[in-house]
Amino acid sequence: MNDQTSAPLAETLSALMDNQVSELELQRVLKASSDVELQSVELKATWNRFHLVRAALKNDLTPLAPADFASRINAAIEAEDKLDITQSQSIQTKTNAGGSAVLAINNWWANVGRVAIAASVAGAVILGVQQMQTQPGAMGELVAGNEQVAPVAQDQLVVNLPSGINAPEVTARTVAVQSGFESRPNQNRRVVFVPRQSAQPVNADEVSAYVNELMEVHSDNAARNSGQGVLPFTRVILTEDE
Amino acid sequence: MSRLFLLVEIVFVIAVCFSTTAFAQPAATLDPSVATLLKKMSEKPRQINYEGIFTYQHKDNPSLQTFRVLHWREGDMTYDRLQHLNGPEREISWRGAIHDCESIGDKLRQGKMIAIGDVVNQMQDYHFELRNKERIAGRVATVLLAVPKDPFRYSYFFSIDDETGLILKVWLVDEQAHAMERYQFMELNLNPDLTQINEVPLAAIHKSLPPKSNCVKQEQPTTWQLAWVPSGFTFAGEGKPRENLEMLMFTDGLATFSVFIEPAVDAIPEGVAQRGATLAMMTGIEFQKKLYRITIVGEIPVITAQRIAQGITHN
Repeated sequence: MNDQTSAPLAETLSALMDNQVSELELQRVLKASSDVELQSVELKATWNRFHLVRAALKNDLTPLAPADFASRINAAIEAEDKLDITQSQSIQTKTNAGGSAVLAINNWWANVGRVAIAASVAGAVILGVQQMQTQPGAMGELVAGNEQVAPVAQDQLVVNLPSGINAPEVTARTVAVQSGFESRPNQNRRVVFVPRQSAQPVNADEVSAYVNELMEVHSDNAARNSGQGVLPFTRVILTEDE
Repeated sequence: MSRLFLLVEIVFVIAVCFSTTAFAQPAATLDPSVATLLKKMSEKPRQINYEGIFTYQHKDNPSLQTFRVLHWREGDMTYDRLQHLNGPEREISWRGAIHDCESIGDKLRQGKMIAIGDVVNQMQDYHFELRNKERIAGRVATVLLAVPKDPFRYSYFFSIDDETGLILKVWLVDEQAHAMERYQFMELNLNPDLTQINEVPLAAIHKSLPPKSNCVKQEQPTTWQLAWVPSGFTFAGEGKPRENLEMLMFTDGLATFSVFIEPAVDAIPEGVAQRGATLAMMTGIEFQKKLYRITIVGEIPVITAQRIAQGITHN
């Protein structure tokens, strides 16, 4: 990670984050950030990193991995102009509310750095596969999997924890993009499927069925090797069709 | 004379200190109490009969699910039944052999997989922390925290029953300290009535899974290879769930993932699906002018799945 932001500018950014910057310095930073050369890109990257570090130190991280998905989904949606998003439900990521506690374990500090690394690795990984043959058409419907007919609304759960551990709230995230297909009943087998950015329309039913089948077979691996007995099979969805 | 003795004593003490620090090098050994706990978790639960009720919840479905699990042994066979207690009646049942091999996961947790140079590499990819005891399902359990040392897997909170080594509670936690999946026993009965168990009819929606052996013959998969797996992940067998579908299993003792490879019929959807802690990543590769559909399913983060997928090759 090559930080080409000049040291004085980086220092100014840092001071800016603490609200301790003079008028002259502020002007200089603003000018640099609108600079069309590479400097502005680096500057913004540095700005992002500082905020990330500060948020991490304050245990105020927004979910980064899901944000990566969210940005990919957003990009995919923007790319597909003809897509008609009829429902107001869009990708929602939940940030930790200011007062909610996080796991107060010292080991999590080490994980903080890893989050940044994970995010950068995720961004840097290029799926080295061929573009597959595809069918034209609108993007398939993506619906959250649950046992009710209607898509699951955002819900917050207070977590009941053993004493000594504070936990963040468990949130349910949904991704729903409509493309003119009607929502179907019996969606309890659906999984949330996020296609790759430049990817192709999918038949949601077929993908769901396939993924469900594989998850069930995988549960056998998990049951044998993860030391929890047959409990991993609670992840398997059984329906009348079986 | 006394000064000489004092000097010798000091030298002796220093020598002892140096030697103990030399032993205290972070070698490939776990803290003994953690190792004992992992061993207990891996050995005892298979051998006892139990019946329990537990709750299950994952991050993509806010509703709480409840289950009953039964595990018992009759003669040379072990039996399991997992019943849904809410929603439609559903059940999965198993039959297995009592004298089957230990699974790769069990071996890894006990440090029974011999690594290079006979240095036992026991669960070196997690940092373990023994925490206080807690009371679950009316029983005393010890809390064990497993935090991964790399970003390629998740963290676990286990509450392990002191008496039986059964896991009474599990939290699977991601890198932002969000719980992805939780189980917790509410009730555990170590003397289930075996005659009654067999009389309870199977649920209307019922799946009976065939017995499979835990014995893994190969060291490496035969046809397909993974150029990269996260440190500590070991090949745990391969299978053919159905015609044309090959499956490779890997585990590090706590986390597991499976790679499914199938010749592609038509368009290969590429993307990521997630339910709770389980991720399914679909992609495609080409080998000798043929397209294959690859799906990686496991309780692993997406960056792990992506990196694994990049390294899949054919022999």
